[in-house]
Amino acid sequence: MLSLDYSDIKRILCELVLIVALGVVVGLSANVGLLQRVLSGQGVPLLSESETAERNDSYPEPVSLQQTKQLIADKAALIVDARIGELYEQGHLPHAVSLPLSEADRRLPELQAEVAPDRPILVYCNGYGCPDSFDLAMKLIAAGYRRVLVFEGGFPEWRDAGLPIEVTESGP
Amino acid sequence: MKTPWLVYHGCRLVLGAVFLYAGVSKGLDVTGFAGDIAAYRILPYLGNYLLAATLPYIEIIAGALLLANRRVRPAALLCGLLTLVFIAALLSAWVRGLDISCGCFEPGAQTGIGEALLRDLALLVLAHFTFHLSNRCLPARKN
Repeated sequence: MLSLDYSDIKRILCELVLIVALGVVVGLSANVGLLQRVLSGQGVPLLSESETAERNDSYPEPVSLQQTKQLIADKAALIVDARIGELYEQGHLPHAVSLPLSEADRRLPELQAEVAPDRPILVYCNGYGCPDSFDLAMKLIAAGYRRVLVFEGGFPEWRDAGLPIEVTESGP
Repeated sequence: MKTPWLVYHGCRLVLGAVFLYAGVSKGLDVTGFAGDIAAYRILPYLGNYLLAATLPYIEIIAGALLLANRRVRPAALLCGLLTLVFIAALLSAWVRGLDISCGCFEPGAQTGIGEALLRDLALLVLAHFTFHLSNRCLPARKN
């Protein structure tokens, strides 16, 4: 039977905290470059196509506002808005196409006919806490798209950064 | 009687090896691990990366201490506490109906939530026996 007195408990907890602190310090030191890129809003360098193929990722890659800006400027990815059509019409990222999650299953074959599987696709929705972009990204990966990115900050982060948005005029 | 001694060292070695392996496999692909954490939709963007950068090294140190038979009680307690946190995260994902891989070992590896929960419960048992039996099987200075 284990009997622990106060000094034992104190010592165990102090050593536990030291282990955690050491792990945090080593982890932060080992990944300082990566974390600096994330903190500065540059995000993580996008993988080359060969690296992506090697990794055989089963999850979308998170990207930052800065990376999203670059991807849109370079026209390097298809930008997909996963929100409902009404929100898309009120304002969306430049060049984005609308593909609400609720319509994904029906419209995926149409997308596959138009967009090659090696074309990078960036998905966004209504910011942190909005799961639709991630869920749509998973569907795109399942459909065979090899480079799927998620901009977690979504439309709110883009809009709040003062970046240009496009509005779709509704029909008469 | 050799039984407690065998149980103690068996639990210690398996627990240490599992945590060391988990830490190394995640530490080799921090970005991929951040993606796995992001799938839980619990932390913000930066939080995913901070946890992905630090957690593997905490696991590596705890696992290495267990394998080396040094500071066993704090290391076993830490493994147990981490496992409880993992179980809570898995349960929250399960309750929210998320169909994700657990992110327990190699990033992107396809392990379902149910399988991961069972494995974590087994790890809790190992941590429990390692912690409690260390008192009987180790001199105080190693404990």
